[in-house]
Amino acid sequence: MTAIPEHHVVGRRTPRVDGEDKLTGRADYTVDHRLEDMLYGYPVPASIAHGTLESLTLDAARAMPGVVDILHHGHFPDLHRSPNSLRQGDAVSEVRLPFEDDRIHYHGQYIALVVAETFEQARAAAFRVKARYHRDAGVVTGLAASDDTGEEVGHYMRGEPELAFGIAPVILDETYTIAAESHLQLEPHATLAEWRDADQHLIVHESTQGVFYQRNALARIFDLPPERVEVISHYIGSGFGNKLFMWPHAVATAAAARWLGRPVKTVLPRQQDMMTTGHRPASRQRIRLGAEFDGSLASIQHDSLTETSTVDRYVDACGGATPSAYACDSVATHQRILPVHHGTPCPMRAPGEVSGVFALESAIDELAVALDMDPLALRLKNYAHQDPQRGLPWSSKHLDRCLESAAERFGWASRDPRIGSMGDGDEIIGQGMASATWFAGRQPCAARVTLRADGSVFAACGTQDIGTGTYTIVAQTVAELTGVPVGRVEVRLGETRLPAGPLSGGSMTTASTLPAVAAATRDALAALQEVATGPGGDFDGLYPASLGVEAGALVAEGRRVNFAEILARHRLSGVTGEGSTAPGDERQAYSFRSFGAHFVEVRWDPGISRLRVARVVSSIDVGRAINPVAARNQVEGAIVMGIGMGLLEGLDYDPRDARLINANASDYRIPVHADMPELDVELLDYPDYRFNEFGARGIGEIGLTGVAAAIANAVYHATGKRLRDLPITVETLVSPD
Amino acid sequence: MMETTEHSPEAAVSVHLTLNGVPVTAEVSPNAILLDVLREQLGLTGTKKGCDHGQCGACTVHVEGRAMNACLRLAVMCEGQAITTIEGLAEGGRLHPVQQAFLDHDAFQCGYCSPGQIMSAVALLEDRRVPGDVTTVREAMSGNLCRCGAYQNILAAIQDARLRRHGQEGGDDA
Repeated sequence: MTAIPEHHVVGRRTPRVDGEDKLTGRADYTVDHRLEDMLYGYPVPASIAHGTLESLTLDAARAMPGVVDILHHGHFPDLHRSPNSLRQGDAVSEVRLPFEDDRIHYHGQYIALVVAETFEQARAAAFRVKARYHRDAGVVTGLAASDDTGEEVGHYMRGEPELAFGIAPVILDETYTIAAESHLQLEPHATLAEWRDADQHLIVHESTQGVFYQRNALARIFDLPPERVEVISHYIGSGFGNKLFMWPHAVATAAAARWLGRPVKTVLPRQQDMMTTGHRPASRQRIRLGAEFDGSLASIQHDSLTETSTVDRYVDACGGATPSAYACDSVATHQRILPVHHGTPCPMRAPGEVSGVFALESAIDELAVALDMDPLALRLKNYAHQDPQRGLPWSSKHLDRCLESAAERFGWASRDPRIGSMGDGDEIIGQGMASATWFAGRQPCAARVTLRADGSVFAACGTQDIGTGTYTIVAQTVAELTGVPVGRVEVRLGETRLPAGPLSGGSMTTASTLPAVAAATRDALAALQEVATGPGGDFDGLYPASLGVEAGALVAEGRRVNFAEILARHRLSGVTGEGSTAPGDERQAYSFRSFGAHFVEVRWDPGISRLRVARVVSSIDVGRAINPVAARNQVEGAIVMGIGMGLLEGLDYDPRDARLINANASDYRIPVHADMPELDVELLDYPDYRFNEFGARGIGEIGLTGVAAAIANAVYHATGKRLRDLPITVETLVSPD
Repeated sequence: MMETTEHSPEAAVSVHLTLNGVPVTAEVSPNAILLDVLREQLGLTGTKKGCDHGQCGACTVHVEGRAMNACLRLAVMCEGQAITTIEGLAEGGRLHPVQQAFLDHDAFQCGYCSPGQIMSAVALLEDRRVPGDVTTVREAMSGNLCRCGAYQNILAAIQDARLRRHGQEGGDDA
């Protein structure tokens, strides 16, 4: 890493500004909010996945102490649907309104919402609600159980992929599957809704990755002007995609609060959270590769089928990264979706691409074996020096450096490629590698910055910090440009009363938010320069822009006056700047992507049937890391999630009736402390100034891509078993071939 | 101990706790869980609910000095007991050394599991029976899930706090 000059804050290790609040329990997550006179909501989930709700018996539940009301189909206000438009900023995760009709589309769909004076009362009454259903025939339990190939929703083609595949001397044609995965973010989805001003003003606390999207959607649903809806989300117990867009519990809770004239808080029980608020859909992918004997790729065909629900059309675009992954003249991708009787899927960290990269990077490894070539050499042989999808140069691509650096630190050169050839005591060592990639995007963003009379600075933006460090990097940016210490910068995020900020998703927050914060900071500084050079000012008569900014002061002609002194002289409470930025035309000239490489060592002990990931060495190029510590933490966490994807995680739907069997944090297994391997993560430092002035491309997702493929490739090296279905479980390793 | 009086199932029961060193009496419903009483009734929201089933560890508190999942205890089971929550760790406005180590090592992301991780880590460090090697610490901490995956930094924070603590005590490792 290049040395950062002393006075710079951006790029420097900076403790998180929200750390103390989080570590002392002071941070106000949605679930922590309470209001005077507040009621508690507790949803009742459907116990079937496909059919009709015939009747509800509510007498016993209604008679329970503290029960105020039970909302259900037939006893619920008439509401409108949200247009569900990304472009209009009102996208929702499930378009259907709660209790809209008596149809049941998935296990866990809400059939009622009990509202009571206390949480205990609401919960107790919810378990007394009795439902009668009519089960319909023809339940679709998942794509694995169906021969249906679904509906085509997208494709891409260049060259002659089928022809090239037909004449290639070396070919590969394999199918890969991935089980549905749960986000299992630790803070459950939660809503606290309060109505004011004779039901004309709705205030909602929600654990969300997008306060503005939820505000707009609620405004459409309750037919209010957007300025009469406020959404607040100061702290989010992470999201990973399932808190991007609103789910029905929020609508039910807001409707209940209006209906009953009191604030209502609903915190989803973990089981319901896993049933009703999205998951990464299961996928089946067929990869066909054609290559020359020297390893040159002649054809790549990538056909993907992913699940959606019967009520929404969610597309998990697996082939997104494939057209630009390798220098190959003939490439085709096809994407299809199949409606199944599960809750609606949604984006989950590196949506689509992480599934696609597993299949593609597994297939590349298989091709290397077929060619008797080193898989690292095969990747370098087909290195895409420019973006073959768009025919444009990359803004900044250093995948070769990632591959070489990680290989060296890992010790790849001393790997014996023969299967099962490397051992250590009772354990067989397997070593595998894969490339990582994620697109770099940027969204419009607005921000406001105030230089305050006490010398502190206030920065506000309506984006969110989902644990990625947004509070901190905004403070760093303001500190960098003003010279005011980070500790004197107050950052406010996660409110729709603030200037409109982007979703916390797609690894786009840093690249979207910091330019707007910088513009607002410069605007505030310009306002201060104007004051200081005006009549009676400290620098009366000087040209405003000629004043320098240094450590919280304006400087000129050898004089230095603190911001606070300038403001005091003019009896000002502060000066405020606004900034609003959007992507420019850089996308016409360059392609923007991040790249990386993972090298994984697994250890397989056949005597006790134990498979574990022992070591991961990664190099990731995301441009510049604004806060290197928080950035590395993100990549390490993504690798941990990748171990879950590779070896542990899968939602189990009953093959008879599509009921979700393992909707809890124990039967659905995620990595724990004991699963942690040795981790060696390197962030390359190649600022991408073609992307934005900070050179940052975003870091949330890329670390996850490629991990599962590298694990599967390592398992093959250890055992000779090519496992194409995730998660890889010990059963598949001990079973005969 | 509790008097043998008639209780209707819904009638509130008085529970006397020493909560973060302060005597507290709470009127709780017999089916109220300690976690919900702490959060919804006593306003101590630092203790988090992640799963409500003893699976994630986000609700870890100290009951009579032992780390326990607050979601697995009825409040009425805690009569007369001393309970420490994350709010009771810092003293005189100064972070507890384990909290400080978590801050220094960036041992969190979203922060939602952090109170539970910290309460488990504090109990772990105070338990002389638990060896201090990393394998044991990983195993001992495995009841606290971190979906952000900050395990590497959490481990570093715990081991750093262990070193600092022994430095202060001048003692050797158990």
